[in-house]
Amino acid sequence: MRYRNKPELQDRLAAEYALGTLRGRARLRFQAWLREDAALRRAVAEWEARLNPMVAGVAPRRPPRRVWAGIQARIGGLQPPGAVAPPPASAARDGGIWQSLAFWRGWGLIAAGCVATLVGALALKKPELIEVPVVREVVKEAEPARLQPSYVAVLRDNTGKPVLIATAARRSDELWIKRIGIDAEPPEHGYELWGLFAEQGKAPRLLGMLPKDDKATIRLAGAADEVLRDFPALAITLEPARGSGGTATGPVVASGECFQFW
Amino acid sequence: MDPVQNKLLEHLLEACARRDQGAFARLYEATASKLFGVAIRILRREDWAEEVLQDCYVSIWNNAGSYTPALSAPMTWMTSIVRNRCLDWLRRPRLEVVLERDGEDGEDPLLAIASDEPGPLEALAQSADAKALADCLGRLDAKQRQAIMLAFFHGLSHSELAGHMRQPLGTVKTWVRRGLERLKGCLGAL
Repeated sequence: MRYRNKPELQDRLAAEYALGTLRGRARLRFQAWLREDAALRRAVAEWEARLNPMVAGVAPRRPPRRVWAGIQARIGGLQPPGAVAPPPASAARDGGIWQSLAFWRGWGLIAAGCVATLVGALALKKPELIEVPVVREVVKEAEPARLQPSYVAVLRDNTGKPVLIATAARRSDELWIKRIGIDAEPPEHGYELWGLFAEQGKAPRLLGMLPKDDKATIRLAGAADEVLRDFPALAITLEPARGSGGTATGPVVASGECFQFW
Repeated sequence: MDPVQNKLLEHLLEACARRDQGAFARLYEATASKLFGVAIRILRREDWAEEVLQDCYVSIWNNAGSYTPALSAPMTWMTSIVRNRCLDWLRRPRLEVVLERDGEDGEDPLLAIASDEPGPLEALAQSADAKALADCLGRLDAKQRQAIMLAFFHGLSHSELAGHMRQPLGTVKTWVRRGLERLKGCLGAL
């Protein structure tokens, strides 16, 4: 081939290919050559890395739901529509990461179901709470609420799979975390847990970095009653290992409503 | 693009290669708005952009296994898929008469967006991860810059560029070539 051993010409063709000005038969020839030449693929990738940031100035736009439905229909067939990911109930127009949170709202009912199950499970584990669902008020009056999980959140990933449970007793500053299927953090990253305010546009508050253990405790800034009451939902973002510093930077990997029992 | 986001997208693509549909849904959630914006920007018609976006995600799902993190960042890779598919779409032989300029409904918000073109360079400069490119584009001669951006966003060929810019073909080819060379030199020097 006449391009061989002519790195400058190769690079120029790679540039014009990445830009889109290489056309017609020349483009087809180039594509055939690309398939068998790793160095050329690298040159094209380098040009794409140079030029593609041009799209950074393009405003994101939420595609209509039918686009996802169409993709689902074409890639699987195994999954009934909606079984995988209800992605984007979101109103994310400007791509801000918290805007994709709208999806957790849709999971309220399912989460509520999970919470009911969870209450059962907790009751079995803690004999003193067996009666709780029935005599909730009595328990509340009678005991110092030391061990009663009062705040419960089931966090789900974007596909709706429950991945983490967080509970806290009203007067304790310990938030108990149990991982139930959240992916391990990528190397050099950590998960941070956030409280989301009901008010639109109010920045979420950092509750802490998630310990890597399956069961762990996050120390809250105060008693759960004071700290968690303002948060109708919690969310987890992926952040650098050193933490975000208080303003979330990474994508939301899970979220869910936070309920108060008593 | 933010390295954390990059890392996550890499993981999602790896999981897609393992046929993890949940990961694919998350990938879509994380990237579709941006890529839909890109498709609309290039195609200037929302219905076409929807169709192309579907094709692209099917292609991403099918080709996730061939994605090579060492070669390109996830968003660069996916953006190239979308751009190439858009350019193919624009070049496809069309039987229909092209009406898109004054389509069926006159108040298509897409056309409004596409036509106001708020100085793409300014928009670019606002995004940190594209600042270097914006700086370097800014240092090109205006004609070089215009030719490169027209080719990038509108898929114009050399001869289409020549027609659009009312210049001889050879001149436009030189603008593109020199512009790309200078861009590479400038980005490499930063």
